Amino acid sequence: MKEILDRITPKYDLQDVSIKDDLQAYVVVEKKLAIDMVTYMRDYEGFSHFVLMSCVDWIEDNKLQLLYLLNNPEKKCVIGIKVFIDRENPSMQSAHHLWKQIWTYQRELREAFGIDFPGSPRIEENFVLEGWTDKPHMLRDFDTNKYAEETYFPRTGRSTNDPATYMRQKLYPNQPVTAKKNKDDE
Amino acid sequence: MSKIFDFKPDRSKYPAKKADGTLDVDLRSQKYVKLWLGPNHPGVTGNMAVELTLAGDEIVEAKTHVGYLHRGFEKLIERRLYVQGFPTSIRMCVAEPDTNEYLIARSTEVLSGYDKDIPEMAQWLRMLSLEMARLQGLLRGVPGQAGTFSLGIGVQWGVYLRDLILDRFEELTGARVYHMYIIPGGVRGLLPDGFKKRMEENLKEIDNFIIRIRQLMFDNAIFKKRSVGIGVIPKEWVDLYGIVGTNARACGVKRDVRKDNPYLMYEQLDFDPPTATEGDIYARSWVRWQELIQTVDLIRQIMAKMPEKGDIRAKMPNVLHWRIPKGETYNKLESGRGEYGMYYVTDGSDKPRRVNLRGPSYTHAIALLEKMLIGTNIADVHATMVSLQTCPPEIER
Amino acid sequence: MNIKDVFTPFTTWSKVVKDPVTIKNPIGREAAPRYRGFHKNDIDVCIGCGTCEAICENQAIDLVPVEGIETKSGDSGLRPRIDYGRCCWCALCVDICTTNSLNLTNEYTWVDTDPDAFIFTPGVDKKSWDTKEEGWKKPVPNYHFYGQTRVPMEELHAEERVESFVEFVKGYSKKQAEEEADRCVACGICTATCPAHMGIPDYIAAIRNEDMEEGMRILYDTNPLPEICGRICTHKCEDVCSVGVNGDPLSIRWLKRYIADQIPADVDKYNEILYTKDIKNNNKKVAIIGTGPSSLSSAYYLSLLGYKITMYEKLPQAGGMMRYGIPEYRLPYDAIDKDIDYIVSLGVDIKYNVTVGKDITLEQLHEENDAVFAGTGLHLGRSTRIPGSDHENVYQSVDLLRDIVTGAEVPVERKVVVIGGGNVAMDITRSMARLQKAKYGEVNIITTSLESEDIMPADREEVVEAREEGCTIIPGYGPQEVMIENGKVVGLRVWKCLSIFDENHNFNPKFDESDERVFEGDMVIESIGQGMDLSYLSEDTKKGLEFGPRGRVQTNDNFQTSLPWLFMGGDIIQGPDVIHGIANGHRAAMAIDDFLNQGR
Repeated sequence: MKEILDRITPKYDLQDVSIKDDLQAYVVVEKKLAIDMVTYMRDYEGFSHFVLMSCVDWIEDNKLQLLYLLNNPEKKCVIGIKVFIDRENPSMQSAHHLWKQIWTYQRELREAFGIDFPGSPRIEENFVLEGWTDKPHMLRDFDTNKYAEETYFPRTGRSTNDPATYMRQKLYPNQPVTAKKNKDDE
Repeated sequence: MSKIFDFKPDRSKYPAKKADGTLDVDLRSQKYVKLWLGPNHPGVTGNMAVELTLAGDEIVEAKTHVGYLHRGFEKLIERRLYVQGFPTSIRMCVAEPDTNEYLIARSTEVLSGYDKDIPEMAQWLRMLSLEMARLQGLLRGVPGQAGTFSLGIGVQWGVYLRDLILDRFEELTGARVYHMYIIPGGVRGLLPDGFKKRMEENLKEIDNFIIRIRQLMFDNAIFKKRSVGIGVIPKEWVDLYGIVGTNARACGVKRDVRKDNPYLMYEQLDFDPPTATEGDIYARSWVRWQELIQTVDLIRQIMAKMPEKGDIRAKMPNVLHWRIPKGETYNKLESGRGEYGMYYVTDGSDKPRRVNLRGPSYTHAIALLEKMLIGTNIADVHATMVSLQTCPPEIER
Repeated sequence: MNIKDVFTPFTTWSKVVKDPVTIKNPIGREAAPRYRGFHKNDIDVCIGCGTCEAICENQAIDLVPVEGIETKSGDSGLRPRIDYGRCCWCALCVDICTTNSLNLTNEYTWVDTDPDAFIFTPGVDKKSWDTKEEGWKKPVPNYHFYGQTRVPMEELHAEERVESFVEFVKGYSKKQAEEEADRCVACGICTATCPAHMGIPDYIAAIRNEDMEEGMRILYDTNPLPEICGRICTHKCEDVCSVGVNGDPLSIRWLKRYIADQIPADVDKYNEILYTKDIKNNNKKVAIIGTGPSSLSSAYYLSLLGYKITMYEKLPQAGGMMRYGIPEYRLPYDAIDKDIDYIVSLGVDIKYNVTVGKDITLEQLHEENDAVFAGTGLHLGRSTRIPGSDHENVYQSVDLLRDIVTGAEVPVERKVVVIGGGNVAMDITRSMARLQKAKYGEVNIITTSLESEDIMPADREEVVEAREEGCTIIPGYGPQEVMIENGKVVGLRVWKCLSIFDENHNFNPKFDESDERVFEGDMVIESIGQGMDLSYLSEDTKKGLEFGPRGRVQTNDNFQTSLPWLFMGGDIIQGPDVIHGIANGHRAAMAIDDFLNQGR
């Protein structure tokens, strides 16, 4: 794994290379070089098995992280090629010509994260959701709880108590509370 | 025989292709029929629909539609503590739920640095439950192939034998289908008293039936007529479509995560994954039938080699406040359907940032199935689908 | 394909004559002993800590009040109610249950036409499976969702610590504190038991989050003496800790000390962290008699509200019993100074060596101030009044402890006998042991108490540590006479004590006269409790006050006496211990504020 990385690191100007163990490594590559690198890894480094294409929402950095996970069946090792793209109007070059299943991943990512892959077949088709009008559901700022509360009807007649609060109400309701100090009072 | 029964229609003229490469199917021309197979159909694996465009009895286009089982498990796990992930994850694959438990546990252990602390006893028990899960999956899957050719007796035997294994699961884990046994840090119980003896009795009964299944399926003219040479996967497709597991091994590509990237205690077991070269439905069934024999043998090996006593869970942080530093990992195992992996990302909080499951059906049931169905008859759709062992929940998660 | 393939499938017909494997009537089929079916709960063991609710990934568990179960210290009075519309039978609630009261039975069949029947409180709503033994229980062995054993506190070895008055408890390191804080299940049961109702789970969470400044703010919300309390608190909270039901309770006291220890002794830093740099003066004045925990506590909270505080201390330094009653090896002076310096920095004026009632009268204080708080404590030793106890070589522990601090000469004899079984008795025993060690190079002390070993009021660890240091502790004997020969004390004659209280719970010890022993000693120290000195109350003032049993001044819940301007708290009203004093002072401060703002 290290040997392969030594070879490709200067070639693709890789940043943030992290080797987990002999059989797993993750690299970050620039967006414009990503598909080129994936192709290179497939054709020249023996990473012929495409495992997974995934996306992670780093909302705090305003970035989406795309991952191309490739497997080398000979050396039995896995490399994760990561690309950071903008969270606003995310778009990425399509890789559907490299492996036959990639268009499915891209279709799913389009629906779940709103990433566009121009030229990918059937990219506009619904994947798992029909008639979804809300924001892409796998983004971090899609509030699952809120959605469930608005869409479904909660069971009535349920209520719970926090033990500490309940004991305060029962056992020492008149406990004095100091006026809460905070920075603004300074 | 007269030549009219050997009619080979000339498909070169229609359906024509549009400029963008898609088929020009005009339903009003009365040359084509749309047929929805599923989402509720006894022949379809799980709740999945295949939209077929037919010219006569022949399929010219197929589209897989999923979403009927979408419950957003990946998202739900993102909103739960690390220890709460595994009871949710099991529903991502009904056929072999234990695989999900293992991957969640393994991922959290690797990222938090506890993967070296897992007691040996727990590792053996994890392997036992994974192999039992494979066995019950195959017991349903192998005779299930006979079911697609109306040999229903095979399905009935399969269900009965599977129930025997579920009885053992009930004893070991406290549940029949959703076991919730493999927990981050270890497992949730030692073998009950007398478990090995009862398991051995069940395995003996399964041994007898394995011969019966062979007689029913592989020495059967009907089965052969319907499966030999049908649904062929060429060897070159394996990498092109990302085909894994028994589907890949049936066309001569010997890949098995248990051998390639051994996990748990598989290095201590003696086995060689069966292969075939033809790549058709018959070959896939045959490989799976041999794997059935092998799994029974593996369970016997595990029960013989595992220690009698030991700790079942490593000393871990308090589950309520467990935080894992920022990191990412991909872990995989060999399920009954092939490489089954999970990409797990943590961000330093007490909940995962992203959990992405890679099920074999993701490629098998969509890209591959859509391609394989073109040019076949309606009657072969179920056979092809079942022979790929598709499982919709792991597609839509 | 051959002809064999046509006939082989017919072998399946051989199964036609076999018995069917289907179970004819599956209802009533017993599930496996480990099966996860419906819940049952032993509600007498359950303490309603709510960890089951916290771990439930489906929000299927609610904590609800149950009739007949009283909310009391160590029991929230709540019990888990399960919504089977959400439950997924994962049994994580069983695995984390702190009391092991919640289990799943292996009953799995139950039919009802009313969907709401499937929300019920196990153990309260009676079900047919409540008596079933089989079902899912917490797995064994070594399967725990949180740490069961306490992180041990590093201490000086007994032989080393008896050499000097140096503090022997070293305090947790960062790693140890975080490991200990990780064991907390954050149920909050302890909060009610703490007299000051400190936000215990919150400050333990601050340790986990490595945010000591936030931890400090949480501590000061209810307790302005964290350094002191973190060392010598009687930690009632740890007695009810839910983690302690099956395992060691959390080291709540040491964790509190850890937070306070992390902040450097710098009043500017304190003011910055606690946002107390600029407090607006409200032009009202309060006088406080004494500088013990209750006085300091009320001074702190009144200062925060802008009151001008003047404190009057009889002795040359502030701290009251904390400084003059508790030996240095348990509570070093720099820890006391650290807490007091910060309170003084808020503008509190302490007048030392001023005895109210002698140098200045209470009435004067009343005239000069808007209100007065008295937290004068218990500084008078009580005597056993047994024959010989008036001998000059019979001492009071409070006097000796005070002399050790002030540097006055303390008589140390070769053989010492101490009477008493409380923490003060242990303090004097261990202090004398150190003095003996320094003077004679050996320890020769016998401490005896009326109470037997199991009901000794002293903290268990105090007794154990005293023994480690070479002191002999013989509980269960009642003193009868200080034996005097030739005008010198030679020993203490005792009888075996059979019971301390009579049927009416009155103090009336019974002795076994046949079991008589004599503990040899050249001096005897009495440490059987202290009394209060209320001489600063003039006769006129006393007329306005109400007195209860044993001479205690009666106050209302807010520590206000019948004279509305006079508030009293601390050991003279409740306790005696530091944390009660702090709680009293806090409450009195809030009440004084209310009282003085009534006209507003």
